[in-house]
Amino acid sequence: MEPRSVGRDARAAVITTLAFVTAVALLPPGSYLALLLAWLLLAFAGALLGISPGHLARRGLIALPFVVAAVPIVFLRSDELLWAGTIGPLSLQVSGAGLRIALTALLKAWISVQASVLLLALASPPSIVTALRRMLLPEVIATSAGLTIRYLELLRDEARRMLRARTARSASPVGVGRERIGGTIAWRARTTGSLVGSLFLRAYSRAQRIEEAAASRGATGSLSIGTLPVADPRLTLKIAGVLALVLALTLAGALLPRL
Amino acid sequence: MYPQLHIPDGFLSPQVSLVLWIATAVLIGIAVRKTSRTDIRLIASQPILMGVLGAFIFAAQMFNFPVATGTSGHLLGGVLAGYLLGPWAGTIVMATVIGIQALLFQDGGLLVLGANIFNMGVIGTLGGSFVARGIGTTLGGSRPATILGAGIAAWLAVVAAAGFTTLQLGLSGTTNIAVGLPAMLGVHALIGIGEALVTVAALTFIAQTAPDILAGVSAPRKASPVRRLATGVVIAGGVATLASFFASADPDGLEAVAEELGFLDAGLSAPFELFPDYTIPGLDGTVSTVVAGLLGMIVVIGVLIALGRLARSRTKS
Repeated sequence: MEPRSVGRDARAAVITTLAFVTAVALLPPGSYLALLLAWLLLAFAGALLGISPGHLARRGLIALPFVVAAVPIVFLRSDELLWAGTIGPLSLQVSGAGLRIALTALLKAWISVQASVLLLALASPPSIVTALRRMLLPEVIATSAGLTIRYLELLRDEARRMLRARTARSASPVGVGRERIGGTIAWRARTTGSLVGSLFLRAYSRAQRIEEAAASRGATGSLSIGTLPVADPRLTLKIAGVLALVLALTLAGALLPRL
Repeated sequence: MYPQLHIPDGFLSPQVSLVLWIATAVLIGIAVRKTSRTDIRLIASQPILMGVLGAFIFAAQMFNFPVATGTSGHLLGGVLAGYLLGPWAGTIVMATVIGIQALLFQDGGLLVLGANIFNMGVIGTLGGSFVARGIGTTLGGSRPATILGAGIAAWLAVVAAAGFTTLQLGLSGTTNIAVGLPAMLGVHALIGIGEALVTVAALTFIAQTAPDILAGVSAPRKASPVRRLATGVVIAGGVATLASFFASADPDGLEAVAEELGFLDAGLSAPFELFPDYTIPGLDGTVSTVVAGLLGMIVVIGVLIALGRLARSRTKS
């Protein structure tokens, strides 16, 4: 899956993703059928882009650990009790309403992640930033975001090399293969902090070099990343389509049976 | 244990998300105006420094270190960014990083991006940086004092961000504040220690290795004793207010408000339903439900197989 050309107007793709995620968020708790419909829509769009539903579904799992946050309501709401009893010293109750809210949140998170995976398949990161710049994102943020994306992998690579070197010197995290752990907490923090500090200095000197290079090529402060691509001539039409989709999903949420 | 601060979509109600988007947009707007007025001496073009340091914060979040068994210290970097770039520019950098994490790495949702930027950017970075500055000034304004201030503020920032995250989840009806708040604050009080230690260590390293750069980005400020005392009182008052706010965030009260505003079961009652309770008209209750379920499953599986084929043919072509 190759990112499409940078020069494309990605506004329609960005708006579609945001509208879709909003429509999904608006579905009431328990609307599993509407969520299924939303997911099938995504899977269809993914298939058109050459992404299999299985792959998409697996990518969606990234948001799952957060469900821990919704666990308390399953046991603490007292409506629609499904089960109540004692386990050892604990007296527990499982609320149907709580379970419904937790499960709905989980499914919404899972679907929304897949929507942004599709956005990335449709539009390259720089074209997304350009699209956001056209849609009210301040110039400073657009420039800064563009540069962050451009230097992200470079600095992450540097961080990875530093971490590997640190592991070799034994200040590695607990639990990873139970390696030796050196020193006190303060010592380990100092080791890590020094790595962060030297990464900052490398980043800083890189920023200086970029600035010199930009200045020598005649840049004058505002550093817009690339020129704006030709506006999508069918943007209005596409947005109308998106609105119809959102409306359809919301209607499905209202009309389809809920559990 | 890792910080649980990047809320995914679906966990906050649209109403809460919208309110926090507005608050975030206003504050980021102020930050943009502030940064266009100030300038950092050593590098004339601030967007370049901000962009590269955004990538730096991203990479710095990969660094972790063991605090205790099963818990690793992990850097969020808000106060660090605020110290190195100033509170306003640091907030913009953190907002950009959080936005890119959501867009490119699906770490945190899109509709809830406003909330995530609010918690980690506005509370964690802007608030944290001003607290850091205040503590530094109170302690005398020397380099070690400001670094110590940044450390304390880094801890506070993580804990406060966790507190706000839980309150928003509670208002959305996805968590129980009475149980969730102490749990989240407790876990993040521990994680915050890692944040504080790494922030202090990183700033100390920079201060020792490249004092000129640090002086260029954030000059130590001297303040009169009266001002120091006043700042100390303001900070202490602020922290106490926040603490009592969390302590007395009456969960029943909050949930009652949420219920009243319709956050909990927004739009639960529909005007009419197409297939009430998964039944097909004309068939007996249980049988009908089973038949409807089976039919549904067959349709879904068929659609999935077809989509898989379509995807394969698309990839080949």
